[in-house]
Amino acid sequence: MTDASEVAPRWEPERPSVGGQLVIPVVAIIFTTYFFTTIIHSPWTAQVNAVLIGSILIVLSVLQIGKLLLQVRRGEADMRMSLLYSREDLTLGRVYLLIVTLAYIYLIEWGGFTITTFFFLLISMLILNRGRHKRMIMLVSAGLAIGGYLLFILAFDTRFHRGPFEAMVGALLKNGN
Amino acid sequence: MEIDFTFLANLFGHTLSYWYVIIPTIFLGLIVGAIPGFSAANTIIILLPLTLAMDLEVGLIFMIALYCSSRMGAGIPAILVNIPGTAGAAATPLDGYPMTKQGRGQQALAMSFVASTFGGLLTTVIALFAMPILAEVGYYMHSVEMIVVMLFGISLIASIASKDTLRGLIAGFFGLMIGSIGTDVVYATPRGTMGFLELYDGVPLIPALVGLFAVSEAFMIIEKRSIITAEGRALMTTESWAGTLEGTRMAFRRWWHITWNSLIGLVIGVIPGAGASIASFVAYQQSRTYSKTPELYGTGHPEGLIAPESANNGVTSGTLVPLLVLGIPGGATAAIMLIVMQYHGVNFGPSLFFDQPELAYGVFMSMAVTYLLMIFTILPLSRYMSRITLVSTSFMSPIIIAFTLVGSFVPREYMFDMYLALVFGAIGYVARRTGYHVAAILIGVILGPLLETYFLRALKKSDGDIMVLFSSHLGNILWVCLILSLLLPAVLDYKRRRKAINAEIK
Repeated sequence: MTDASEVAPRWEPERPSVGGQLVIPVVAIIFTTYFFTTIIHSPWTAQVNAVLIGSILIVLSVLQIGKLLLQVRRGEADMRMSLLYSREDLTLGRVYLLIVTLAYIYLIEWGGFTITTFFFLLISMLILNRGRHKRMIMLVSAGLAIGGYLLFILAFDTRFHRGPFEAMVGALLKNGN
Repeated sequence: MEIDFTFLANLFGHTLSYWYVIIPTIFLGLIVGAIPGFSAANTIIILLPLTLAMDLEVGLIFMIALYCSSRMGAGIPAILVNIPGTAGAAATPLDGYPMTKQGRGQQALAMSFVASTFGGLLTTVIALFAMPILAEVGYYMHSVEMIVVMLFGISLIASIASKDTLRGLIAGFFGLMIGSIGTDVVYATPRGTMGFLELYDGVPLIPALVGLFAVSEAFMIIEKRSIITAEGRALMTTESWAGTLEGTRMAFRRWWHITWNSLIGLVIGVIPGAGASIASFVAYQQSRTYSKTPELYGTGHPEGLIAPESANNGVTSGTLVPLLVLGIPGGATAAIMLIVMQYHGVNFGPSLFFDQPELAYGVFMSMAVTYLLMIFTILPLSRYMSRITLVSTSFMSPIIIAFTLVGSFVPREYMFDMYLALVFGAIGYVARRTGYHVAAILIGVILGPLLETYFLRALKKSDGDIMVLFSSHLGNILWVCLILSLLLPAVLDYKRRRKAINAEIK
C-alpha cells in the first residue's frame, strides 16, 4: 500500500509574497538620497524641510525593508513580486493598455488631439473587449474624440496639438465664414 | 443706505431674476468641475473676453455661479469613479467611492449634493452677516498658526496609518518628500528636479491627482467587469428615486455634522492662501476624531463623505470675505474676480459697502441663490449620474485614461505634465497593489509645499529660532488642540473597548 503522502503533494499554507512591498520603500530611499545630493551645497533654508522629512522617510523605509526581510528569513513570506505582476496582466490586456497609453502621449504631438484620442480609445477598447463589440467601440471612440475636440479645442481653446483633423475643420470653418 | 430685511429681500428677488444666467452656468460649472485639470479659475480665464464684455452684475453672477457649482462638480467623479475633479475634492473618495462600490452611488451623490449646498448656503448666510468679524481672522493667522493648521490636515496621514502604521507613514512621508521638489521659497534653489525645468515650480497638483487616483484606478479596475460589487449591481439595476431620497434624508439627519464642517471650511477659506484641499482634509480628520465610529471611516461611512464636501463648499464663501472687505483675494478664483471687477472700475474695501451695497452684498446673495437653485437642479440628476457605474470597465478604463491625461495637460499646457501623470499613475498602481495608501501620498504632495513655505517664513522671521513655533497665544492654543485631536482618538478608543469589555462581563 502506498503512503498517501507520497502521492498527493503535502499541504502547505501559502506564504505571502512580499517582494512587491519593497518597491515603494526602496524607491523612497533612492529618491531621498538623490534629493539630498541636490541640496548639499544649498543654503539652510533649502535643506531644513527636506532633511527633516527625508531622514524620517529613510528610517521608516529601512524599518519596513528590515521587517519584510525578517519575515522572509523566518519562512513566513517569500520574495516573489506576484503582487505587482502576473500572467493575468497579459491576459487582461493591462500590459497592452500601458503600451497604448505610452504611444498615445508620445503620438499626440504629431497626430493632434482628435485623431490620436480616437485611435487610443478604439485600440484600447478593442484590446480590453478582446475584439468584441466592434461597431459600438467605433461609435463610442468617434463620439468621445469629437466631443473632446468640441470641448477642449473649439470651446475652451486649449493649446492642444493640432493635427490633420483640427487643420481640416479649422480650414472648413474659416472658409464657411 | 440701511441694510435691513427689506433690502435683503429685494436683493434676493433681484438676484433670483437672473435665474436664466445661473442655471446654465450651474451645468457648465458641474462639467468643468468634474474634469480634472479644469476649474472655475481657469474656465473664467478662458472665458474672460466674454466675462469682461458682460454687464458687471451679470458677469459677477456668472463667475459666482460657476465657482460654487464647479466646487460641487469636483465631487461627482470622486464619488463615482474615484477621481477627484480638483485637489479640494481629494478627501471625498475616501468614503464616497466605497459607497459607490457597494451600489450606493445614488445615495452618496444625493448626500454629497445636500451637504455641499446646505454647507455652502449656511456659510454664505453667516458670511453675509459676519463679514467684518471674519475678515479679522486673516490678521491673526500668521505663519506659525498656519503651520499648525497644515499639521491638522497632515495628521490625517496618522489616521490612515492607524490601519498599518509603517506603510501609512511611509506613504505620507514619501508624498511630503515629493512635495518638496522644486525651488525653495527663500533663495529659489532647485531641489530634486532631476534637471526638468517644468518641476522648478514644484510638482503640479493636477498630474499628481490624475496619476495617483485616476490612471492607477483605470489600470486596477480592468480586473473586474464592473467597478461595483455583484450585490451593488443588483441594487443599482432596480431603478427608483429611493436612493436619492435616502441619501437626502441621511444628509439632513446629520445636519449638525454639515454645519460644523462647513464652518471649518468657512474659517479656513477666509485665510488667504489656504484652500479647499486643506479644509477638506482638516474636516475629514476632525470628523473622524470626534466620531463614535471612527473604524467605519474609509469603508463608505456617510459622515466621511459629508465632512469634506460641506467643508470645501464652506471655503467658497470664505475666500470671498477678504476679497470684499480687504481687497485681498483668498484664492485663485477670487483673484480673477478681483481683476474682472477692477476692469469695471469697482474698488474693494470697506468703502464698497457704503458706496455700492447692492454689489457688495449682492456677491453673497448670488452665492445663496446659486446654492438654492443648485439643490433643485442637481439633486434629481443623482439618479441618472450614478448609472455611469454600470458601464463596463473595458469601456470606462480607456475613457478615464484619455480624458484625465488630457486634463493633466490643461492647467499649464505642458506635454511634460501628461508624462508626469503617467509616472504618478505608476506610483499609484504600485502603492495600491502593495497596500500603501495613495491618499496619504497625495496629502503629502498637496500639503507638503505649503507647510514648508510657512515653516521657512516663520524661521526666517525669527532668524532660525525654532521656538518661534510656540511664540503666539493663538498658535499655542492651536498646538494644544492639535495634540488633543491626536490623542483623543486613542483615549476614546480605549474607553470604548473598556466599555465593551465591561458590558461582556456583565
